[in-house]
Amino acid sequence: VILAAALGALSISAALPGCSDDAAALAAEAEASISRAGPTPDAPALDRARRLYRRARVLAPSAAFSLRAADLACASGDEEECVDLLSEVAEVAGELLSPADRLLLARRAETRRAWREAISHYRALRASAPDAGVRSWAEGRLRRVEIEAEAQSIVAPAAAPPPPEARLALGEARRALGVGDLAKARERLAAARKLSPGYAEAALALAALETREGRAPEAIRAYREVLSTDPGRFEALVGLANLLWDEPDRSAKEEALAATDRAIESRPEATPLLKTSALRWAEWGDAPKALARLDAYRRRASVEERRMTEGLRETLARRVDAILSGEVRVEEPEPAALTTPAVDEWRVAQAYLRRGDPSSLAAALDHLREAERLDPTFAPAPELAGSIHEKRGDFSLAQAAYERALAADPARVATHERLAFLLARQPGREAEAEEAWRRAEQAGSSEAIFQLAESASRKGRRGEALALYGRYLAESPGGFHADEVSRSIQELQPRRGALLAGAIAAALLLVAVGIVAYRRSTGRTFEEWIRRFPARGRDARPIIGRLRHEVVKHGGLLLTDGARKLSGPDPEAARRTAALLRSRLFGDARTRGLVRESAEAFARLQSFAREDGLRLDLSGRDPLFSPIAAGSRALERLDGPLSRTANGDLDRIGRVVTKLEEAAALFRSASGAEMSRVIEAASSTLVRFTDLLDLLASVLVETGFDSPVDLEPLGLFAESEPRPARVRVFPRDWETIWRNLFGNAVEAARVGLDHDLRLGISVEIVRDPITGTPIARFVLADNLAAPLTAEMIRGRAADRGWGVVADLVRRHDGTVEVGPPPTPDYRKGIVLEVPAVEPEVPA
Amino acid sequence: LRTSRTILVVEDGTEYTDAFGGLVPDGAESVELVRAADLEEARAVLSERGVGAVFLDVVFDRTPADRLAGDLAEQVRRFGGDRTRAERHLAENQGFYLLDVLAPLLEAERPVVIAYDFSAEPERLAALRAKHANLSGVADGTPISEVFGALTSGGTRDDPP
Repeated sequence: VILAAALGALSISAALPGCSDDAAALAAEAEASISRAGPTPDAPALDRARRLYRRARVLAPSAAFSLRAADLACASGDEEECVDLLSEVAEVAGELLSPADRLLLARRAETRRAWREAISHYRALRASAPDAGVRSWAEGRLRRVEIEAEAQSIVAPAAAPPPPEARLALGEARRALGVGDLAKARERLAAARKLSPGYAEAALALAALETREGRAPEAIRAYREVLSTDPGRFEALVGLANLLWDEPDRSAKEEALAATDRAIESRPEATPLLKTSALRWAEWGDAPKALARLDAYRRRASVEERRMTEGLRETLARRVDAILSGEVRVEEPEPAALTTPAVDEWRVAQAYLRRGDPSSLAAALDHLREAERLDPTFAPAPELAGSIHEKRGDFSLAQAAYERALAADPARVATHERLAFLLARQPGREAEAEEAWRRAEQAGSSEAIFQLAESASRKGRRGEALALYGRYLAESPGGFHADEVSRSIQELQPRRGALLAGAIAAALLLVAVGIVAYRRSTGRTFEEWIRRFPARGRDARPIIGRLRHEVVKHGGLLLTDGARKLSGPDPEAARRTAALLRSRLFGDARTRGLVRESAEAFARLQSFAREDGLRLDLSGRDPLFSPIAAGSRALERLDGPLSRTANGDLDRIGRVVTKLEEAAALFRSASGAEMSRVIEAASSTLVRFTDLLDLLASVLVETGFDSPVDLEPLGLFAESEPRPARVRVFPRDWETIWRNLFGNAVEAARVGLDHDLRLGISVEIVRDPITGTPIARFVLADNLAAPLTAEMIRGRAADRGWGVVADLVRRHDGTVEVGPPPTPDYRKGIVLEVPAVEPEVPA
Repeated sequence: LRTSRTILVVEDGTEYTDAFGGLVPDGAESVELVRAADLEEARAVLSERGVGAVFLDVVFDRTPADRLAGDLAEQVRRFGGDRTRAERHLAENQGFYLLDVLAPLLEAERPVVIAYDFSAEPERLAALRAKHANLSGVADGTPISEVFGALTSGGTRDDPP
């Protein structure tokens, strides 16, 4: 065998496509060494040739090199390495193995009680052996190991689905976690776990909570609990690995390595995890394993990613080379034991799946079909079948299998994720994939939250993306994408700080939750809508302004006098009036006309409301808009009659006059001022000094600034009866502005070591000199020595939250500048001017 | 009302001029309506002749931006460099910018009516009356005949005191 192999070596080397020159040269040198040693090479010659092949495999891994290296190992009597190498070949190119190779592999698997593996090799041997006697012998061994395997299999019952009460409690816990109410989240999780002990999803949420609160041991315990019932749960494996890797003891790191590798096995498409694994193995000191994972990563990585890891690969390759040259062997850590609570057929299928060859995959599918037949409610079977179909490129079969799995267990997060991934990889099915991700998100998938955030970000839905990224970090702080998500949040909200990003994401989340709930109801009034979505005030205000001017005001101006003029005794005056009214109501070359203006304003408001998931009933229920709608309806049918009247046909003039008077009465009953008041009431903020004081206190707590800070009321706030100001900024933005202002002051004090920070806030109401509109002028005064100018706010200091302040203030038609302090007790003042709301006229 | 009087109507269209001319039941015949499409035209009218009253539309969204009253550069700066918003602001509030420039050119007792409803903003009207004491607004629903009356005699219904 050795001689034959030696004779064929050169042709093997020559047939290595893509092999680098160095690797080929090493192989050629090994073969030359063997040739020079004669028909029975001695041990030194074999050793030298084996070392050369090891290095060649590092440089250019290939089945042919492994097979040749296995031959040399066998010839040297090193059966362990020989079979290791054959096993490698079996995974990537089983067709290259001879019956003798299969026999070696089967025997070792049998020795190790790896029954499924032994079965696989015996089956391959039975299929490939040319001799009937060998085939018969293999058949006998096969029956034997199958019995052993069956005896070894422990059928674990699938976890019973949690009761609805437990799922409800978990949903509440997730929402609380999303908005940062950790105490409530903990309380709800305890309830969910009490109602359904062993509830993997609840344990996963608990692990996230513990991680977020920095309680690593408790988080590790919770992750282990998840894995005891759902051993392949990707999020749990990644979270556990991350926590364990940060632990100081070596055994924890060892377990982290195993968990990372299991996570990769669970989701092979998670390419970045291969790099993480490579880095960890490198740090652990096992260069060969690190190199193998890095190579796997680089095979799937982009050109840029490959370029960025070239240095690391060279380092690892040198280390591996040194190990090989120095005869250093690295002990492999034992893989972490898996406790798999799946049924036997599923486990057998898993074993076949690991083989990866077409016949094994077919055998796995047979077992899974049987598993489904035996227990149609056992979701992991169709789920695994789906993954096999997917691997074989049978996407429609894969989708059907995943859908069967979801029918068996609609709450199974892993299946939702697999289905969504499957759809996402098929061009043209992006919308279906997004829908699948939404269902996965509802089932509790953190991965889905990430994918939806990515999708929203790609589509420019910045607010939604931020909310989802924030949720991901809240629910999965140690998750696979945690670093990436943090970077994305920073990119979307440059340099606002994690605290602020989290707060805004939580606030956006609240809005998103509100939207979902609101979709369920329809037929809302304008006031109900705008109160629910105060941020819409900015969109609605110009529409209402135009509606008031073009419809309410013009309707009032035209209709009463128009009707009166039409009903007068002068036919010529009536004719001219009809022509004028027709052009004003239905438009001409330069105007759209009252009727169309009204319809367009309604349509735009309804369109905005639809975006928020509700239907506006402006014509029916709405007390503010229904008179306009009715008035417009009364006018709609007058186009023809007015046209005829304008042309001198006065027969129906009485009916026209009646309709005009009816419309005039309706328009008179509409109150444009009330429409504006509704917007102001909903989307403005009443600013009280005490509220700002509370906000400062919370900022001090959140930033950990432990020195007391004085906040002095000035201006209207300092009067004997302090007067609040109402600003045309909706509350969430207003709070964000002040959080940043206070946060900047605290940060400047911390950096400048000014621990006696003193702040003062003054407010006064001024008027725009042209339009007369009220403007609230706030000055935040401080005693900080740190310089700040208006240019710094817009420029180089924008990274300290000033960018956010400037942007939000500008969005609300305000300005922010640096100015003199309101009193000499301070060094400078931040001057914030925003539109204010007129005080209400007493009834 | 019975004496001949000139009313300057400043608007970007002809809606108000037509309404004053066509819908007011009586009295309009004794009043001369002069329309100006923008600030420059209004200035020209005022420089050539005296007027008895001025009516100002508020929204001038059909007027080219370069013909709008107001410091566009200052507004662009105010809106953080957003020229579109600055132009929109000037167009939507043009009546107030016209008032700011024209008020000093008018005798204090001449009625000026601006097509804006101040019924919920009495302090705003009071502030603007510092520019022109005989200023009044138009409450929503006011018939054109009543506006006409205010221009020929001063004051419209629903004007806050």
